[in-house]
Amino acid sequence: MAQAVEQVDVAGVSDAELRRISCQRMLLAILVAALLVAIVVSLAVGAVAVPARKLALMLLSGHSLTPDQRIIIITIRLPRVLSAALVGSALSVSGLLFQGLFRNPLADPYVIGSSGGAVLGASVGVFLLPSVSIAGFGATALLAFVGAIGSIMLVYALAHVNGRTPVVTLLLAGFAVSTMLSYSSYFLEVWDQDFGTSLRVLASWLHGTISQPTWGQLAIVSAMLVLGLAGSVPLAGRLNTLSLGEEYATHLGVNVQQTRVALIVIGSLLTAAAVALGGLISFVGLIVPHTMRMVLGPDHTRLLPVTALAGALFLLLADTAARTLIAPAELSVGVLTAFIGGPFFLYLLRNTKRELIL
Amino acid sequence: MTPVLEFAQTSFSYESRVLLREIQATISGGECIALLGPNGVGKTTLLRLAAGTLCPQSGEVRLQGQSLDQLKQGTIAKSIALVPQDVEVPFAFTVEQFIEQGRTPYLSLFGGLRAVDRRVIQEAMELTDTRSLRSRVFNQLSGGERQRVKIALGLAQQPELLLLDEPIQHLDIGRRFEMFDLIRSLSRKGIAILASMHDLSLIEGTFSSVWLLTPGEAMRKGTPEEMLQPELLERAFACPPRYRSALQDQIRGRRELVL
Repeated sequence: MAQAVEQVDVAGVSDAELRRISCQRMLLAILVAALLVAIVVSLAVGAVAVPARKLALMLLSGHSLTPDQRIIIITIRLPRVLSAALVGSALSVSGLLFQGLFRNPLADPYVIGSSGGAVLGASVGVFLLPSVSIAGFGATALLAFVGAIGSIMLVYALAHVNGRTPVVTLLLAGFAVSTMLSYSSYFLEVWDQDFGTSLRVLASWLHGTISQPTWGQLAIVSAMLVLGLAGSVPLAGRLNTLSLGEEYATHLGVNVQQTRVALIVIGSLLTAAAVALGGLISFVGLIVPHTMRMVLGPDHTRLLPVTALAGALFLLLADTAARTLIAPAELSVGVLTAFIGGPFFLYLLRNTKRELIL
Repeated sequence: MTPVLEFAQTSFSYESRVLLREIQATISGGECIALLGPNGVGKTTLLRLAAGTLCPQSGEVRLQGQSLDQLKQGTIAKSIALVPQDVEVPFAFTVEQFIEQGRTPYLSLFGGLRAVDRRVIQEAMELTDTRSLRSRVFNQLSGGERQRVKIALGLAQQPELLLLDEPIQHLDIGRRFEMFDLIRSLSRKGIAILASMHDLSLIEGTFSSVWLLTPGEAMRKGTPEEMLQPELLERAFACPPRYRSALQDQIRGRRELVL
């Protein structure tokens, strides 16, 4: 054996284990720092540039800005920056949960159709119940949640065969359900009461656009994200056991049915949070957890915090790029993630021929 | 002395097809039992009943005198470990992370592994000789290595009874010898073992008793010598009579292997 016997200290923590722990801590620190830098940079860039150095000084020492700069940064850019970070975090964590639930690294809220369900729910809110309003959201957030849960249960029922969810059935069921749901949103045009405004809202949803949310909307989505993350903590360990398969997990005392329901509810809550602010943004829930898994390995308890942070960072960067690349015009961030995520998804698909070794 | 596990008039059927009829049997501490029978006779079902993951339609299965129905699965998993036949893991878990899952019944929802858990995992790896594999990815192991790692997960549960579903299937002859060595050494440690097999070689030197399942008949129990009779095996495995001498050769060959 070329491999030397690894040292084991008194507590029984092996070298490999210690290395993994320090690797996770380092990654967490890097992500927190990068996220802070990205927020400042993202606030600084745009149609009217505010020097990042000046902005950092303002944040650190109360160095004052001109009233114009204040409006641009606090009223216009800050909500959008926060919104992008929240949406990215919510999508990535829901991707992580769905991948564990389906025991399939290709599951993503967009791919498996739960985003499509959320869009349908949200558009019911926009078109049919425009007068119902809670903190500026209409019934949107709630209906997006209902739509997300409904569609994922449908896809799960269709794709789950004998305790397994084969890639092919998952992708096909997700594709079919997602397409039907997204397009059925257009039926709702018939009830359009405000001559095209709702239609434009819907169109931007389907492209996945981070727009200018109100503070009330941000508060609701933040609450949904916090709730979702808190609910994911006890599920992370369960996801590890569930990875061994239904029989093993049941035998080891995991209530598989209950865990699945919890995963569906929390994953859908996070999807709905993301869709309520950003619409259909594809592949984020796939790229982020997978990249983190390549660095840290598949242990869900370790992946959860880094995935939440990395998701926020990733979408913040993507959205900043989307609004500056062709300034003064703007791209939808969903267009950008589709261009990054599509090839990534295909690469994963090519590399998971042997029923998924990731 | 109460047996570790007791089947009391346990019956199980899939829809209308009765698979196991009124099984009556006990497993005592340290006993090492081979469960023999043809494919589809219900060996895996019997092991699942013993592990509490399936419930019998009538009769019951008792752990230390207590019906499994009344125990939580997590409690059962601290006394009985089931090592399933095929395991598919969708992610690249290392061997160590895989074995750690055996501690699930001992952990709270929010707590990580404690020092005592790590110690048990170390012991499980030492007993199964899997220490050197700890950083390897489970999915990339060979059949024999996989089997030992799965047994290590079972040992991490600190069971009194280990249920092995076809532990030597798909293993080459060298790995089979190793597996029998491992079964013997675990048995010497006082862990009771019930292992399903449909291979007749090496039963005698390893197992203290044999349970033989014959389709449509009551389960037979006895010493390996009593059970490994050509007439019984011919009936159980539905061997065509013209192959009787070949079957006898198999059994004789088996005895020679043991010697």
